[in-house]
Amino acid sequence: MRQEQFVARHQAEWLAFESWLHARGENARRARRERNTGELTDEEVPARYRRICQHLALARRRGYSPMVVDRLQALMQGGHGVLYRTPPPRWQRAVRFLLAEFPRLVRSEAGCMWVAAAVFVFPLVLMFVLLQFRPELVYSIVSPEQVAMYERMYDPSDPGHALGRESGTDWQMFGHYIWNNISIGLKTFAGGLVAGIGALIVLVVNGIGIGTVFGHLQQIGYGDPLWRFVCGHAPFELTAIVLAGGAGLRLGLSLVAPGRQRRLDALAAAGKKGAKLCLGVAFMLLVAAFIEAFWSSTQSIPAAVKYSVSGVLWTLVAVWLGFAGRGVADED
Amino acid sequence: MLDTYREVVTPEGVGLHLPAAGPVPRALAWGIDLAIRLGIVMVMAMFLALLGKVGQGLYLIVVFLVFWAYPIVLEAVWRGQTPGKKALGLRVVSGDGAPVGWLAAITRNLLRTVDMLPFGYAVGLVACLADPYARRLGDMVAGTLVVHAGREGGHVPAPVNTVFVPPAQLLPEEQGAIVAFGERAPQLTPSRQEELANLAQPITAAHGQAGVQRLYGMANWLLGRR
Repeated sequence: MRQEQFVARHQAEWLAFESWLHARGENARRARRERNTGELTDEEVPARYRRICQHLALARRRGYSPMVVDRLQALMQGGHGVLYRTPPPRWQRAVRFLLAEFPRLVRSEAGCMWVAAAVFVFPLVLMFVLLQFRPELVYSIVSPEQVAMYERMYDPSDPGHALGRESGTDWQMFGHYIWNNISIGLKTFAGGLVAGIGALIVLVVNGIGIGTVFGHLQQIGYGDPLWRFVCGHAPFELTAIVLAGGAGLRLGLSLVAPGRQRRLDALAAAGKKGAKLCLGVAFMLLVAAFIEAFWSSTQSIPAAVKYSVSGVLWTLVAVWLGFAGRGVADED
Repeated sequence: MLDTYREVVTPEGVGLHLPAAGPVPRALAWGIDLAIRLGIVMVMAMFLALLGKVGQGLYLIVVFLVFWAYPIVLEAVWRGQTPGKKALGLRVVSGDGAPVGWLAAITRNLLRTVDMLPFGYAVGLVACLADPYARRLGDMVAGTLVVHAGREGGHVPAPVNTVFVPPAQLLPEEQGAIVAFGERAPQLTPSRQEELANLAQPITAAHGQAGVQRLYGMANWLLGRR
């Protein structure tokens, strides 16, 4: 069959499909609300799409002009996009993700998570203990200006300062924590792509930094305001950083030791998992930012209440990550 | 070959051609997006400055959203296009040609952090140039691809109304090439038309303008005009 006869015979069909794609294919939600006024019903579309695939195959085989082939290609690609698109996310799904899928994901990568935790906690504890015996070490790690700043922030003799705050309202700090902390978390994960080294560096540096500052403040006797400030948000913030690091390690490990897969496939699998983990990490850091901005800095709450709340939160996080979602069926 | 098409065979058994986009249009698209993002941040900064310290907090939240969420949400919701990509006619699709999903959009945009290393997307550029489908590292991990979208071309017959029967049986690719010549040659300069037609001298047995006319004739014959 000559090209022009072929086009003339099927033109109407193609136009109908094109107008359907334009009217109904763009947005599934809108299409569900609106009535289909076109000549092609929604039920016919898959069959029509397969016919167009067949036309495309014929057009290619018979060497029709690139114009016709391109047009069929565009129609087919449009149809492919509609038929195989990922379903839109649902709010129900978000709850299920947080309560079941995310903790299970964390447990499925328990090895990486424990390594990340060790790499973070070991330098932290080491520096903290070391500073109790060699206080002068703080100046070889943190600059004197920063030491002065931290001392000012947690000075127990200065009632003018909120706990751990130089100045600024809760809202200002909330914004700051969101921008700063979540960015660090996400970068920790991304840094893992460099064979896991980026994630490890972030974990170690943060461990050393936190351990040093805490050790110094404890040693000079500013422990009380410090612990009262950090105990509230620590369960979420520290755990989230460790989880981000663990996800990064997983990503790096799939590059270094892909197992019985191509490196690219192993990376893609780890990337998909990492994206999900990052969603959870971002959520945890959001919670941490909220606690840090609106609860941790409140001076009027007695220490006993703060420590008990912290205990409850630690238990909550541990139970959530350790047990939530057991026995729930997989969705995908 | 030199072509950057990625061919994916769909479940229906036909090949899907994905024309991969190189680093230059992508960098331009990124530049447009950057301008838009800076614009948003600056406008919000002006308004939020009126709110004092609460405004500062909200401003940092806006910065966070513009920095991290802008590309993710737009690519996932707007069928793989940010405004910059739309302006340049680019689209992010997943490796099998389906629209990009939320997880893939998250992965590829989080890993921008690595592609940006050590400065100015250097890692991304090297990966882009080394990969046959111009994917940066984030694309490889997310299993996505940036393609040229929406190249529309109408079906036009050859302009000259002559019919010339080819002297020999032509192969499908040869037929395709001749018909394509008939459709696209009017957009070229006459000297370029002749230059191309001279390549087909073994079939047309003519030189210069006469060869062009014969090729038009053959294109018409192949299109079924008698």
